Amino acid sequence: MKLAVVVQRYGLAIHGGTELHARYIAEHLAQHADVEVLTTCASDDLTWANDYKSGSETIRGVRVRRFRVSKSRRAGAAARLADRVLHQTHSLADELKWIEAEGPVSRALVRHLWKHGESYDFCLFFDYRYCPSFYGAHAVPSRAILVPRAEHDEIIGAHVFRDVFRGARAILYNSPEERSLIQAVAGNPHVPGVVVGAGADVPQNPQPARFRQKHNVRGPFAIYIGRIDERHGCAELFRLFLQYAGQPSSRLSLVLLGEGPMPIPTHPKITHVGVLDEAGKFDALSAAEVLLIPSRYESLSRTALEAWALGKPVLANAKSDVLKGQCVRSNGGLCYQNADEFAGMLQAIEQNRWLSSSLGKSGRQYFRDHFDWRVVERKYHEMLVQLQKAVPGAAIEPIPGWSGRRRRDLAPAADVVRRLS
Amino acid sequence: MADFNVRSDSVNVEHIMEQIRARIREKRGVDYTEAQIRELATARLEKFLDPGPGTVRADLLQEFLKKRAATDVDELTGEDVDETVLFETHRPWLRAVRRILRPILKLFLNTKALAALSAPSKAEVSRRALDRLTFELMHNMVVEMTRLSIEVKNLTMRVESMQSRLEFNERRARALESAGVYKPSEPEPIVQAPRPPVRDVRPPVEFRPRQDVQPTSATQPSGGAPVPGAPDGPGQRSRRRRRRRGRRGGAAMPPGSQPGPLGQPAQSGQPGQPSPAGDSMPPQEHEYRLDDASAEGPDEGGADTDPDPQ
Repeated sequence: MKLAVVVQRYGLAIHGGTELHARYIAEHLAQHADVEVLTTCASDDLTWANDYKSGSETIRGVRVRRFRVSKSRRAGAAARLADRVLHQTHSLADELKWIEAEGPVSRALVRHLWKHGESYDFCLFFDYRYCPSFYGAHAVPSRAILVPRAEHDEIIGAHVFRDVFRGARAILYNSPEERSLIQAVAGNPHVPGVVVGAGADVPQNPQPARFRQKHNVRGPFAIYIGRIDERHGCAELFRLFLQYAGQPSSRLSLVLLGEGPMPIPTHPKITHVGVLDEAGKFDALSAAEVLLIPSRYESLSRTALEAWALGKPVLANAKSDVLKGQCVRSNGGLCYQNADEFAGMLQAIEQNRWLSSSLGKSGRQYFRDHFDWRVVERKYHEMLVQLQKAVPGAAIEPIPGWSGRRRRDLAPAADVVRRLS
Repeated sequence: MADFNVRSDSVNVEHIMEQIRARIREKRGVDYTEAQIRELATARLEKFLDPGPGTVRADLLQEFLKKRAATDVDELTGEDVDETVLFETHRPWLRAVRRILRPILKLFLNTKALAALSAPSKAEVSRRALDRLTFELMHNMVVEMTRLSIEVKNLTMRVESMQSRLEFNERRARALESAGVYKPSEPEPIVQAPRPPVRDVRPPVEFRPRQDVQPTSATQPSGGAPVPGAPDGPGQRSRRRRRRRGRRGGAAMPPGSQPGPLGQPAQSGQPGQPSPAGDSMPPQEHEYRLDDASAEGPDEGGADTDPDPQ
């Protein structure tokens, strides 16, 4: 079986959630099938500049074919068009312009799929928002398998994505909440789909003492791993944690792993260690008491899975349906809705050892049952075999013509999403 | 916050979160958002404005407003009505024409009466404005009152909570003090056996010797029963030892009787009948033995075991 994995960026130095997901899946599927990654030469998702050379290379046993980005990202235009699409009545042309402004536009990649798409049995498109997935799925509709990584944000209400969700050959969801969301938006229960997610490669013996010694971290601490910005809920996290740290009974400090544009408050109980490699990350996670996930927008929290794989409890934002669902299903974490609950639940995890260890144990079991790589690979394999045997259903409808695109009758995407909830 | 109660080995996150939320609610009292307070205040305001049948002066506000309006109208219908308002205009040329023609016009009309008719409408405007202000003021006062009543309720709950904590601490302090009093001056292994500070290791109440039975005169010590809580002196210990020896000799266990379970005195008679020796013994002495037996192990339990090594 020959598979193409299409993703906007690819490389060992790229740590975005989608990109890591795609890389791990490609590496694991490469053990069972002939996998080729189709990606761009970009490494920076803000500019989509062509940092890598175009052409083929092999990364960890996977053949990677890079294509040049035709247009760099236009941040101003993207913001203006996003505002129009999300909050005003608009046309299909506006949505298409917005997708192209967000980028990365790689005409060579799409052309390759038009010309050579037939040579692949299936093409896995990661993240529905980006140009390679959108135009690539239109190029090979009968082979397009979507890994949407959708979040409950306003973008999913854009009309242009509905046809992709309805016409894809199959959809591999990250969580049941994501499936419900997409089916509510697109009305596509007929499209074959399965909740798969992704596994995590957790080292056998992480060294918590090594992390503590290297970064001079003492005492119990909670950890946040990810990009430090407002969209990921870091502002709220800092506010809530500083409130909690002011309580006399709290002993936890906060350790931050990652970088981002947001300033970090100066406080003796907050330590920023920056970006660490995989080993360092797992050392830190194994030394922590609890993983904090303040983000409201998640399709699959890999850090939560990694924490559970190490037997660590999670404290997540209940405003994210996905995180809440994961915590309840796994019994491996608690969810907070406001400052009082944050303090109460963090205190419970900090002071009740039985609770902390029980959450960790349950989380570890959940990880083993659902996100072990063998389970994930089996689900992919079963879905691909099933699709090979089945006759393709409805294909993705082609993009309308000139006049159809310019009809300004599409409701704001934010309104569409608001009507769902 | 951390002392919630989960009894099974498998954790249920929803249950735990619900328990934590319940504790937060309990701690903070009824938690109202700003919108809820306003809603509550609106409901109370409506109730205040229209209390319903059977209540005193239901139309208080309406009456007040009516009277106020009447007063305003009376004030404006005086003799000094300005008739020039009838001829006012923003157009200069028209104003000039009206001024020229005013003497002629006044021949046909009673302009003062006409101006007086227009005066109540102005009074109405001012009255409505006044009403609006009064209503707003009243509304704000009700909102504030609602907020204060909720705060009072919360504070009451906090005071109750603190009072219960204080009582608990006082009880704990008394228990610790009494434990300190019982500590002997010389080392005695029975009394010094390690005891958990909080957990009550004594057997259930039904297994303890009855304390409500009056001691008989034959077994009553000459100095009277030891006062609970008073320190044991060497004389008391030797008396106790003599009593035990006497018990062993005089009130020996009948054949077939078995020592009781852990910490339970041996049953020497019919079930339900208290043993005379147990009745005559000071209650504190039994508690010591029971505590020590349960703390040190089952081998040392039983009434016929002398806990005193001497």
